[in-house]
Amino acid sequence: MMVPDINPIVLLFASIFTSNILLANFLGMCSFISISKDMTSANGLGLAVTVVLTITSMLNWVLLKFVIIPLDITYLRYILFIIVIAATVQILEMIIDRVSPALYMSLGIFLPLITVNCAILGVALFMQIRNYNFVQTVFFSFGSGIGWWLAIMALAAINKKIQKAPVSAALSGPGITLITIGFMAMAFIGFSGMLNVQ
Amino acid sequence: MKMTPAMRSAQESMQPGVITEEGFLGDEEMPIVDMIVRDEGEMISLGLSFEKTAEQLSYLLKEGQKGLGEPVTIDDKWLIRVVDPRGQLPCPFKDGLFHKMTAEIIRKSTDETLIVTDMSIHLFLEHHFIEGKGSQFRLEPQLLKRILFD
Amino acid sequence: MAFLIAPAAIALVAALLAAAISIVDKIVNNYGEVDISINDGKKVIKMDGGDTLLSSLASQEIFIPSACGGRGTCGACKCKVTSDVGPHLPTETPYMSKEELSDNIRLSCQVKIKADIELEIPDELFNIKKYKSKISSIRDVTHDIKEVTFDLQGEEINFQAGKYVQLVVPPHNKVKGYTQRAYSMASRPEDKNLVQLLIRLVPGGIATTWVHTSLNEGDEVELVGPFGDFFRSETDATMICIAGGSGMAPFKSILYDMLDKGETDREVWYFFGARTSKDMFYLEDMRELEKKWPNFHFVAALSEPEEGSSWDGETGLITDVLDTFLKTKIDPEKTREGYLCGSPGMIDACNNVLSKNKIAPDKIYYDKF
Repeated sequence: MMVPDINPIVLLFASIFTSNILLANFLGMCSFISISKDMTSANGLGLAVTVVLTITSMLNWVLLKFVIIPLDITYLRYILFIIVIAATVQILEMIIDRVSPALYMSLGIFLPLITVNCAILGVALFMQIRNYNFVQTVFFSFGSGIGWWLAIMALAAINKKIQKAPVSAALSGPGITLITIGFMAMAFIGFSGMLNVQ
Repeated sequence: MKMTPAMRSAQESMQPGVITEEGFLGDEEMPIVDMIVRDEGEMISLGLSFEKTAEQLSYLLKEGQKGLGEPVTIDDKWLIRVVDPRGQLPCPFKDGLFHKMTAEIIRKSTDETLIVTDMSIHLFLEHHFIEGKGSQFRLEPQLLKRILFD
Repeated sequence: MAFLIAPAAIALVAALLAAAISIVDKIVNNYGEVDISINDGKKVIKMDGGDTLLSSLASQEIFIPSACGGRGTCGACKCKVTSDVGPHLPTETPYMSKEELSDNIRLSCQVKIKADIELEIPDELFNIKKYKSKISSIRDVTHDIKEVTFDLQGEEINFQAGKYVQLVVPPHNKVKGYTQRAYSMASRPEDKNLVQLLIRLVPGGIATTWVHTSLNEGDEVELVGPFGDFFRSETDATMICIAGGSGMAPFKSILYDMLDKGETDREVWYFFGARTSKDMFYLEDMRELEKKWPNFHFVAALSEPEEGSSWDGETGLITDVLDTFLKTKIDPEKTREGYLCGSPGMIDACNNVLSKNKIAPDKIYYDKF
């Protein structure tokens, strides 16, 4: 299979705006919905996801090219990708606990949950399916992380406004959040004419 | 019934050894949502309202506090002792911090006893959670009716 | 052998990652030896980092008062940290006032020691020890208050009358962990090898229920102390002491200490409230004390005396009795000081009466929970 001919910079912006991992592919919704209540933790989680995404995609690319493909065990890629992600999160968790206990406390259970954040496995699988080279993978995964971060910050900001709005009791909480995400996704469709990469 | 994450984390905090050594669940292990629904049903079938009952409990607690740790007779019906041991406890639903103010309410005619705390009134009124069967602080609807209203 | 390739590949990758994790763990979670410098270097402790401040200090026999035993629910184990240990954690902020936040007062059970740390604690905390005691007697003084005497088995406790100790409640029945509860000492400071506590049954309370139902003479129990900043001032002002129930404890200690030390020129009024005569205790001891010490006045009041009882003392709420005495019997020309022991509600109520009778707020001392 050929490596697609896309400039990495284009790929970076495409993954942030036109094919935002969250709003175009709807991956990584669980933590997106539950942690978007205040800006500080949203910011922390966004940062954590971006870092984990970038590191794991690079590791997974290496694993894919030098272990999985040569040994012809592509059918095991899910397991291998997931254990790499799990280990990376574990290491990151220890480092955050040491460096910033306040961030560690505010991320709480969501830090280990990044392990099962579908956005992260999703990016690794896209990278494999689309056959990106290493540089493209770095830019694509970094862009996807930034895109996720951007989306969660936007949602947290909107949620802050919503807290003051008279939302009916039946819709408050996850209900209105899901509707908001729908509108955000529609707004992001507006970007899709600008770049189109796969 | 489906548990929201907030409910699930509340249930975890209610386990023995988390907020209090004995926990809030008594001998029960079912999801607290089911306990709440079951106990709401019992409250309704006994004709009790959460607001009225909590109001009555708070009234007794407030009057009982005037005894400054000693038992007080109120309206000739109840004997109440309010104690306030050192320390505070957070609500398992994460919406408040409570002194360990504890009242022992004795209905004088029958000698039946009910233990009420600042926290249990809050759980009762705000969350309709009356604690699990077997918990010392459970506000058993039958007992509430007999002690407070009969 | 081809079928081995897949499991071998996974095993290898997993092993590599596990190795990476344990290497990072060795580096990141190894805080090495750190210096804990207390009160400007008065005492410097060298120890391995990584644990909380409360338990690290406890392992060095320095006990910061804590009512919950390090769970972050009582907010008692505050201490001032002068070096940088990062911002306040969400688990600390609910217990802190604005001034405490800006003074960098921390909950020592929440602060993890990761580097050299400097902190300030009251000097008397150095005096705090853990005692392995044996119960020498348990006596019912009323139907719900027990007087428990602990023999310190050869060790000595040095304390000012009015201080409290923490009783360590071990796991029992449904209670799975160790808990600690604070009780004021009723024993005299002169008796250095014993501690006496008055423990009143709290409805549903873990520790008091344990004391009332499971403790027996001869049992071994751990005590930690002494703690507290409730003691008499060194003036000759008239002391007005108010208590009820187990609030008797610190005053019993203070009064006998004053008698021991010959401070009997000082005038003391001790107001003690109970509901019925079966809740009243130590009456004889106090009358005895009055005989030995003419300036000491014990005013006992029953709020709901049984009908037809032979009670000849005061009746009514202790706050009302106090008010009457302040207006009619106690000389307002002399400086008066208030001493209170009880719940926030009782302290507020007594504070009101005292301040209405022109006793300055800074002359009212209390042991507030």
